Amino acid sequence: MTFTTRIPRRNVLKGMGMAATASLVPGAFRPLYAASVAPITIVINQSPWFESFRRTVEAYEAETGNKVELDVNPFAGSLEKQRNSVRASAGQYDILIMNSGWFAEMYAGGFVEAITDIDPGFQLDPEIYTLGDTIYYDAANKTMTKAGKLMSMPVSPLIPMLYYRGDLYQEAGLSAPKTFAELEANAKKFHNPPGMYGIVQRGARGPHTVAYDFYPYLYGFGGGIFKDQATGDYSVTLNSDQGREALDYYVRLAKEAGHPKTAASDQAEVIQAMVTGHTAHIMMVIAAWSQMDDPNKSAIVDKVEWAPTPSVEGLTTSPGLGHWLAGISRNVPDDRKRAAVEFLRWFQTKAAQLETAKAGGIPVNAAVYKEPIADERRYRWMKPLAEALPHAVNIYQFPEASEVISVLELGLNRAVAGEITTVDALNGMSDEIEKIMAGHSYKTGKLDPLK
Amino acid sequence: MAAAQAQTLSSPRRPAKVSEDRGQRLWRWLTFGPALAMMLALSVLPIANLFLTSFQNITWADGQQVRTWVGLTHYQALFSDSLFGAGISNTLIFAFGAVAGQMVLGFAMALLCTKIVRGRVLYRAIFILPILIPGIVIGAIWKLMLNFDFGLVNKALGLIGILPHDWLGSPETALLSVIAVDIWHWTPFCFLLFLAGLESLPQDVFEAARMDGAGAWQELVYVTLPLMIPTIIVTFAFRLVLAFKVFDEVYLLTSGGPGTSTEVISFTLYQRFFTEDKAGYGSAMSVAVIFLVSLLLVLALSARRRTGAAS
Repeated sequence: MTFTTRIPRRNVLKGMGMAATASLVPGAFRPLYAASVAPITIVINQSPWFESFRRTVEAYEAETGNKVELDVNPFAGSLEKQRNSVRASAGQYDILIMNSGWFAEMYAGGFVEAITDIDPGFQLDPEIYTLGDTIYYDAANKTMTKAGKLMSMPVSPLIPMLYYRGDLYQEAGLSAPKTFAELEANAKKFHNPPGMYGIVQRGARGPHTVAYDFYPYLYGFGGGIFKDQATGDYSVTLNSDQGREALDYYVRLAKEAGHPKTAASDQAEVIQAMVTGHTAHIMMVIAAWSQMDDPNKSAIVDKVEWAPTPSVEGLTTSPGLGHWLAGISRNVPDDRKRAAVEFLRWFQTKAAQLETAKAGGIPVNAAVYKEPIADERRYRWMKPLAEALPHAVNIYQFPEASEVISVLELGLNRAVAGEITTVDALNGMSDEIEKIMAGHSYKTGKLDPLK
Repeated sequence: MAAAQAQTLSSPRRPAKVSEDRGQRLWRWLTFGPALAMMLALSVLPIANLFLTSFQNITWADGQQVRTWVGLTHYQALFSDSLFGAGISNTLIFAFGAVAGQMVLGFAMALLCTKIVRGRVLYRAIFILPILIPGIVIGAIWKLMLNFDFGLVNKALGLIGILPHDWLGSPETALLSVIAVDIWHWTPFCFLLFLAGLESLPQDVFEAARMDGAGAWQELVYVTLPLMIPTIIVTFAFRLVLAFKVFDEVYLLTSGGPGTSTEVISFTLYQRFFTEDKAGYGSAMSVAVIFLVSLLLVLALSARRRTGAAS
């Protein structure tokens, strides 16, 4: 596809003059990654990292003169707006900011157009995190591998990290826990309610709340939900012995070193417990880092440290991907699709990602983590994050993930609330997930029930 | 002969009457038709579409909707959906519990208000305040009030030596807490209807009762309550239907948790239809809920008819 543009002579002369002036001023010349393009609209959720995204978008507008409108919504509201837009004959949103819980639905439904189909010359920066290759989709095989087309660009490489009180650890002469046994021992040591809880977990039932909190435990104990999604084997393994150990541990931690209202604690309350100095640990998406050192929001400025989520001895950290990807709607005009590509081309650069980091966001370009900024005290979370990211697990590779998440949210919450035993919860959830997968004609099966 | 004459006299007028009737009928249809068409378009058609969708599965491929006929599958699945079962039973507990509380409190407040002479307007304004507050604000107010760590309820209980309790996070008290919030929110509605009913009661009956020596309690039991029964039934029916549709309070305070403790049917519907994007199954659930609410309404109205007939 070729595009022809008529440029007025006056603009050419102006441009030459500006280029000549810029070349005389050292450091004034910056490569322009984006052409002048149509205004675009991005639908996005109001997450802890949103402010950094907004400021990055402002930087894009200032640098290129292009216009970007942001439609900001709560988590569930964003999904609903995206569904309404992509299912209409003409879409309202050019770029969809999709969560790990629903991007597969957008890929498989044919709602997102491959970036390389819009611009065959688009080159992905080699330093961009591909996050379990979830930015690719092979429609023929329904898999997310590099063999597929480039469907999206990472926007926020969110994974949970262990936030712990560095000051308390220093006083007690402890080092960051690497195993679940160490975490439990340390949490119990600091547990002194109601002033201080050993750990505060996100155990409430929500759109993707307790399930997301549980993934690092489940995978860190060597468990999982499905046997092997990459090969299309969706046999349910949730109620394995490892799954049971993980859930027993999670519930025990809540009871013996956690907050009494774990079953009703959502993300905001967990962050609140940390910033008010009422807990020694939380496991939370890294996006909340900027709140920890914000004197207007935090009573524990400069006291929090970060580490990869623990695992059992012999296994590596296994945080669940809770990342956000930017995909371009199929049902918007071509000029807006091209404008969206220009934005993503600019967004992936190291320079843009440095802006993101400085604005409190999490860079998606690995080159930023090798910059001097990563050694600054304020960005002390960068190195542990870079260490953990390669081990992140993509939990769902199929479009019906929201149904499975609903089952997990209910079953896990009931176990945390003590409404049912961990064994009943795991067996019950496994049965329901197997039924869902069978209903959608996936190759599935289940383990013998736990006793 | 007189009859024959009358027939002769009236026969020329007959066509005029027929054409007048036709004209009137046409006029009636012309004026009534748009309203009927509007009603059909806005209420009957969406429900018919919902009913049709309840027999289908909706999926998406290449950006296009694919509808597959599945017959009664979704309706059969309702019986094995534990969330649906929990939703129905919690909704019934919620609806009857909350409405009973609202009726008793609303009636008591209305009775008190009729006895107050000074500051009556002020009391009424204070009593109806909660009903004017938007649901989202009520969610925020009570989420803060019932907060485990810094909620006013726990702080107040702490003053008398009671340990803090997790009102919304404990399976034992979560539904009770939501019912309490709903009572706080909707009692003014009952209060207003009861007040209007009490103020329209004929005073001569009360005077006669007093002359017969009836005390305040006897007056309430033997005069006020029987006269108020139609108002009580209408208020009950209104509130029951509204309570059956509760969503915002549950969504904001507990999201149906912990576990299924506060799972109400509207929330289950939201989960299945919107979050899980199961439009076909969600439609079947919606049809079932519409049927249940209609059934409740019919029962309440027939009760009113029976009491009306009896009185």
